[in-house]
Amino acid sequence: MDNIVLPLFTSGFMDNHMNLLLAIAIGIMFGFILERAGFATAGHIAPIFYFKNLMVAKVMVSAIVTAATLIFLGVIFGYIDYNNIFIPSTYIYAYLVGGLIFGVGMVMSGWCPGTAVTGIATLKIDAIVFALGLFVGMYFYFEIYDGYEAVRELANSHNLGRFTINKLFGSDDIRVSYIVTLIASFGLLAFVTIIKKIIDSKGEN
Amino acid sequence: MKQNNYWSPVIAGIILGIALFISFIVAGQGMGASGAFARATAQIAYTIDPDFAKNAYAAKYLHSGDALTNWTAIEVVGIFIGGFISALLAKRIKPEITRAKGYSSFKRLFFAFFGGILVAVGTRFARGCTSGQALDGAAAMSAGSWIFMLAAFGAGFLVSFLFKKQWKGVE
Repeated sequence: MDNIVLPLFTSGFMDNHMNLLLAIAIGIMFGFILERAGFATAGHIAPIFYFKNLMVAKVMVSAIVTAATLIFLGVIFGYIDYNNIFIPSTYIYAYLVGGLIFGVGMVMSGWCPGTAVTGIATLKIDAIVFALGLFVGMYFYFEIYDGYEAVRELANSHNLGRFTINKLFGSDDIRVSYIVTLIASFGLLAFVTIIKKIIDSKGEN
Repeated sequence: MKQNNYWSPVIAGIILGIALFISFIVAGQGMGASGAFARATAQIAYTIDPDFAKNAYAAKYLHSGDALTNWTAIEVVGIFIGGFISALLAKRIKPEITRAKGYSSFKRLFFAFFGGILVAVGTRFARGCTSGQALDGAAAMSAGSWIFMLAAFGAGFLVSFLFKKQWKGVE
């Protein structure tokens, strides 16, 4: 298909210099949205873990569904080369372990790396201290990765490559990925909404 | 919490999804954050000790001696600017330590710091965070992103009782 021009950078329609220049603009957009969504305070992020306030889940799910729909349409109508959309390789165990450690750190701190940047910009002291922890944690990981074969093994074993959802079902059809993404997204939202209702009805919050 | 022009979660999510789509069709990747912290850490360690370029993990960032001329590292500067502009317009910039009334600041900051260490280590195993892995990956229809997302929220939920006092009444 000769009308494929997207993504501009990875399809070769834009040079690296321009791409890095636009990175600032895309970041500004992202930071502005995160702040407007209310994510520049830990007080709006931590409550998701107690099902007190589902704002985080609502924002995540609407964003995933919106972006996935636009990508899906772009691919189906032949404007986007899906293979040039970056998807990190799937490492099952590393993602599982990384996710578990990440989740504990998130409820403990009330931050994740992106929201913390907006927290720093709005002078949240806890975001600044969280960022210091990030630097220490990154350095700690570099050292254990360098020092221990077991860490490298856990981090790099079972690499499934660019593992899109359709492959889970032995299909190469993007429609499968899209439908499952919708089901998983709305399913997740329904699940947390039901849990919140149960907790609220017990009056524990 | 409804005061000062926050967007409703669904509107915010739709706008975020459109922004994410723009990022994908321009750069070929979604917005990230943790990679910038990893690169900045590598750059600092390298500046202090050039031998750090041989570190088995950081070597891939440091082969040119400059870890920060990178899409995500530059984009994160934008996140800072965008967050600042939005908060400035809404008059929301003020120093504070978000915690429950009467909760010790020292304990709160200790948890923020130690949580930061855990989050950093988690992102290195998972190749990304809530942005670069969970949000971008799920939007691009990656299966692995769901493993990460469910593990992170599941683990956070399981240990959440340990930190309940810290967040009591916080909005």
